[in-house]
Amino acid sequence: MSKYKKLVLPLILVLAVAVVAMFGKTLSTKSATVKDNRTEVVFWHEMGGPAEKSLMKIVDGFNKSQTKYHVVPKYQGSYDAAIQKILQTHGTGTSPAVFQAFDISAAQMMHSKFTVPVQDFIDKDGFDANKISPVARSFYANDGKQQAMPFNTSQPVLYYNASLLEKYGITPPPVSPSYSDITRVAKQLYERSHHQVKGMTVQIYGWLLEQAMANAGVGLTNNNDGHTGIPTKATINNDASKEFFEWIRENQKAGDFMNYGSGAMAGTNQTTGFLNGKVGIYIQSSASISQLNKKNKNKLGITYFPHPDGKKANGVAIGGAALWISNDKPKAVQNGAFEFIKYSLKPEVQAQWQKDTGYLALNKDSQQTSILKGLYKQHPESKVPSQQLQEAVPNHFNSGILMEGMQKTRQIEQFAMESIYNGGDITNALKDTDKKIDDNLTTTNRANGYH
Amino acid sequence: MLKTSATDVIPEKKVEAKQKSKFKLTANDKYYASIFAGPSLFLLGLFVFYPMFRTLYISLFLTNTFGNTTLFVGLENYVKLISSPDFVSSMWVTLVYVVGVTFFTIAMGLLLANLASQKLPGIAIFRTLYSVTMGVSVSVAAIFWLFIFNPSAGFFTLLTKMLNLPTINWLANPTNAMWAIIITTVWMHLGFVFLVFLGAIESVPTTLYEAADVEGVSKHYQFFHITLPMISPTLFFISTITIIGSFKSFGLIDLITKGGPTNATNMLVYRIYNDAFFGGNYAKSSAEAIILTVIIAFFTYLQFKFLEKKVNY
Repeated sequence: MSKYKKLVLPLILVLAVAVVAMFGKTLSTKSATVKDNRTEVVFWHEMGGPAEKSLMKIVDGFNKSQTKYHVVPKYQGSYDAAIQKILQTHGTGTSPAVFQAFDISAAQMMHSKFTVPVQDFIDKDGFDANKISPVARSFYANDGKQQAMPFNTSQPVLYYNASLLEKYGITPPPVSPSYSDITRVAKQLYERSHHQVKGMTVQIYGWLLEQAMANAGVGLTNNNDGHTGIPTKATINNDASKEFFEWIRENQKAGDFMNYGSGAMAGTNQTTGFLNGKVGIYIQSSASISQLNKKNKNKLGITYFPHPDGKKANGVAIGGAALWISNDKPKAVQNGAFEFIKYSLKPEVQAQWQKDTGYLALNKDSQQTSILKGLYKQHPESKVPSQQLQEAVPNHFNSGILMEGMQKTRQIEQFAMESIYNGGDITNALKDTDKKIDDNLTTTNRANGYH
Repeated sequence: MLKTSATDVIPEKKVEAKQKSKFKLTANDKYYASIFAGPSLFLLGLFVFYPMFRTLYISLFLTNTFGNTTLFVGLENYVKLISSPDFVSSMWVTLVYVVGVTFFTIAMGLLLANLASQKLPGIAIFRTLYSVTMGVSVSVAAIFWLFIFNPSAGFFTLLTKMLNLPTINWLANPTNAMWAIIITTVWMHLGFVFLVFLGAIESVPTTLYEAADVEGVSKHYQFFHITLPMISPTLFFISTITIIGSFKSFGLIDLITKGGPTNATNMLVYRIYNDAFFGGNYAKSSAEAIILTVIIAFFTYLQFKFLEKKVNY
């Protein structure tokens, strides 16, 4: 009797575990069942909100067009969080066949050796990559080899409230403005509205500082922003970034500059302020256009990213994310992943994508589609970011920074922006920034064995 | 004498031995002990002790892009952290925050609990109102306060504009951002602390106050000399959990300031998260985690050593 008694407890435990395991198993098999014999291609992405809806349209369109492959999209949360997930799940059953990874993780992804360069598929397939925007391509290329294919691509542009400018009789800035062009408009807006409207704001966001340097043709690190070797030293303490900050400081002193801080809601607060006519000018990704057009009772004006006075704009780098193909899946799945990438770059698909989201169509032929022609007719200013993208000639400084630890670098840049916006000395802040980035670079390069 | 004492001792020892054998585990006990304690020990080991030791281990290395340990560097991570002005400022910021939050939470909690313990008609409404923040989740609280702090259209901004006072940019200025976070955290904690204090104050025997009233002692004196000593165990408990809780504060910071501006609200826990999951520097953040553990352990030790003596159970 006592022998049986002893067995009861462990038996219950084992049963409980078994039930849980079985339940879990049925759940997981349910989601993994494929309805047909097509090869499954798991696709990780980080698009939320309206962009996710639009992305699902692309996935559905692809799946309907296919007899061989079937793409299964899986949302992974923020760009930042997804990077660690991708790196940590590689080689396991849950890892994706094709994934979306954001701009500044390019170096990390490349060095991970977890991916197959898209160039391999382009060569095999005979795909004409020249149709795709060269500035966007060069961001994800190394030594002329395409590592990943740009997907959702944006450009930083300057937005202004055209209705307010009209109301106060202010001449709008030119399409490619200099810093002083913007200062003039911002000051006039502030004065003529009797200080009711702030002239401008520049968000505390490292990306914007990087773009100011790109547009001035200056690098953030040595080795040409990492395009000709592993970066070892930061070079942010340069004349271009000083000019950028002096521009901001001048407007701060005039009182027309609004600082929205760097908190979790800074971006939203800034957009709200702009839409409510509390601030006249701000710089943001072109991906905001569709949102700004939908909710705006004022007329929207768009120009290129401003450039230093007396210099020609070098062009800004793209933002957004690219599609990478993992190397831990069978050849058939990898081919399926490339088929999906090819589909996502079709002129009509890209045109619809731009119309839905504000991310720029990368295929040159998209501009001739009726979708974009209709959009430009309705909102002529939506053409500006695409023009900025087309005009830029890729070089080392407007093709992004190929450096690991960019996420941390952004935070260090933001620290500098915060201290300058709060009245700190510009040169000291920039020197401090270089030192901090150098420290990080040294550690990263040592830990990864780059010499 | 000696003889008798020696004989006295021997039976005592025997008794002790007997008692010990009473508590000795039989094979059956051991079996049940392992059945009952085993699973939780296993889970604790897997999810608490293993990560703890793993953290200590990682903190002695450099980690590469994948978070793998590559280069043994001994205490270099710790030395670098302690000599980095950034990290030291984070420690100060955390200290200011913890002291601020603990002080204001306890002061406000005591004040409200004392007020709400008065026997007045309709007091139940206030008791409900004061404890209502207990039901608010961190994310809801953060959104709510972000609306209040909004620099263009927030409640505070509108209020100051209406009164023609200079507007405060709550989240863009380092000092103000710290206050904003402290206010929000205190508000979050207040509901729970209020409720616990109210319970403690209610359980103080009324005879003590009646006796004090007979003696003609002022309410003020009664509060400091009857209420406070009588609820000191609760006070001790609340101060301990508030200090530990605010050291570990994360949600509000992530949702409101993200540690900025100029690291003014970059508390240790947020820094650990940031360095690991944004910076990808697991070694550095492991070292930071170990330092945080030591600091919290130190504070808890101090509390037990000095404060607990003043507690009347």
